Amino acid sequence: MADVPILKLVRTPPVPARRAVGAARGVPAAPPARTRRVISIGGGKGGIGKSLISANLGIELARRGKRVVLVDADLGGANLHTTLGVEVPRRTLSDFVERKVSRIEDVVTPTGIANLGLVSGALDHLDAANPRYAQKMRLLRHIQQIDADFAILDLGAGTGTNVLDFFLVSDHGVLVLVPEPTAVENAYRFVKAAFWRRMRNVAQVFGYEPLLRSVMDGANFRSPVELVETVSRKNPEAGANLARQLAVFRPRLVVNQARTAQDADIGRAVVAAWRKYFGLEMDYLGFIQYDDEMWRTLRARRPFLLERPDVPAAKAFATVVDGLLAIDIAARAGAPK
Amino acid sequence: MKPLSQQNLYEVLDVPFDASQAVIAEAVERAMALYAPGSLATYTLMDPEEERLLAKMLEEARSTLLDPTARARYDERITGPEQPGSQVPSPPAPAMDAVIRAAWPELPPVIPALQPASDEEWEEEPVEGQPAVEAEAAPAPQAPQPAARVEEAPETPPAAAPPTASPRPAPILLEKVVEAPASQQAAPPTPSAPAAPPEPAAPPPAQAEAELVPEDAVWSGAVLRRIREARGMSLQQVSERTKVTRHHVENVEADRFDQLPATVYLRGILLSLARELRLDGQKVARSYLERVASAHPGGPAQRPR
Repeated sequence: MADVPILKLVRTPPVPARRAVGAARGVPAAPPARTRRVISIGGGKGGIGKSLISANLGIELARRGKRVVLVDADLGGANLHTTLGVEVPRRTLSDFVERKVSRIEDVVTPTGIANLGLVSGALDHLDAANPRYAQKMRLLRHIQQIDADFAILDLGAGTGTNVLDFFLVSDHGVLVLVPEPTAVENAYRFVKAAFWRRMRNVAQVFGYEPLLRSVMDGANFRSPVELVETVSRKNPEAGANLARQLAVFRPRLVVNQARTAQDADIGRAVVAAWRKYFGLEMDYLGFIQYDDEMWRTLRARRPFLLERPDVPAAKAFATVVDGLLAIDIAARAGAPK
Repeated sequence: MKPLSQQNLYEVLDVPFDASQAVIAEAVERAMALYAPGSLATYTLMDPEEERLLAKMLEEARSTLLDPTARARYDERITGPEQPGSQVPSPPAPAMDAVIRAAWPELPPVIPALQPASDEEWEEEPVEGQPAVEAEAAPAPQAPQPAARVEEAPETPPAAAPPTASPRPAPILLEKVVEAPASQQAAPPTPSAPAAPPEPAAPPPAQAEAELVPEDAVWSGAVLRRIREARGMSLQQVSERTKVTRHHVENVEADRFDQLPATVYLRGILLSLARELRLDGQKVARSYLERVASAHPGGPAQRPR
């Protein structure tokens, strides 16, 4: 049952029934739906601004009074503290991974910004880039239960299983895209890899592996639509369930380093193309302008959003955060159904 | 959602069937820019073949839908009363559409919040009335794809799976010859040890045992116990060999659902038990979990013990 903790399964039975059962058994009623949200920032390619976006989204949320913990999940390539102008923290994720401390809250370093804490990536331990499976699961669990309103995970580059699992466990998997062919290529590779990993996890939990294997044998499916269709032909119920489980895979898209008006539109185009060719949805959160100020403040090791809140790129972060919060509100409104 | 080759021109443009000329003209413009060869948004998303097909369809959309006479003809062709051969016949498409429509619109717009389940685990919600996937898949030999594999043992009656065709003895419940050998080898490495395929075990059990096993398999605890006893294994032995705590095994056999661990664990336990008893683990787990789910609509016990 290895991958189960990272699954977000669509619950088919009605929620009220569950509460009623709990109450009847004398079990304390389930606490209200978790308000804390996990946001992960990924994108496949390196150097597209994942860390800067993580840091500045964190600052923006913290400025709005949310309690935020930034987690540098770029194990082995951690540098989030630098984008915030924080000294190399003494306590890092490796202390948690090696169980020197029991709670992830114990390795949160203050950032000098109100409401914003930082869990620095494992810096000193050479093997920290490749945590064992159990360590990773423990980390994921603790991150999901961290004492904060938001946990923001700054993911590493690439499509390794560690990166994908962090992405899949999040409430908001944010896909960062720079309008360049290389970044687009890697972004598609990244979301596809994440998608097929989720597919495999779902199949595992519901026992669809033999079914999927029999379907996928010999055939090469380019899109989930084709696959679900083929499965439905064999077994309509399994197909419907699969479609339901897979539709929750819904990355949020942010276009970074937009230089022209066309660049700004690329986000919408990617969402449309993704829907048409992959058959799945994405939410477009907006674009962030390319701005030399971002680079200048980074060179000075000062947080961009604090130094230059006046420039358009800084205001773009507010738009992105608005988008994320709106999705949360919509989710909460839709949840009781 | 349909594959591109099955979409009509309106679907390609993402416009409603009764869209005005102006709307269509704008949509064509937009699509041409968006999906132009070398467009950034589709880079590496489509393969060249699809790109060519799309370019062709967009061109056709422009020439057809923007010309009122041609459009009327086209509309008649795709909606007209049963004109065989007019459009790509795609029998599976409507079924798929229904499936998708049934599944998609009810979704909340985003990922639902994780319920704080137990401290250790998030649990799977057993889907009630989950069909027996493999049982449904079994009649598939008519379908084109598995046909190649079926020929290995086309006429073989299920009960007597020929040891010759199979690299491992068939478990007594694996009546589908189709799937057993080939899929086993094709199995991609999964990180889940418990869900791993059954190891090649002892030779196929005696025919007499078949009567212990209900054909359509409602796997109750009592049935599992009968089979264990028929195999001459004690609780202790099963517990030792499966590494499942003895009281879990007892609770499973006694159907004490409220004392069983969270579904994810329970599934693992059932899979190992079934493997030890040389049963089809997937079926046992599914059937048992269904019974647990229907006994407790809200899911099994919250806390793993």
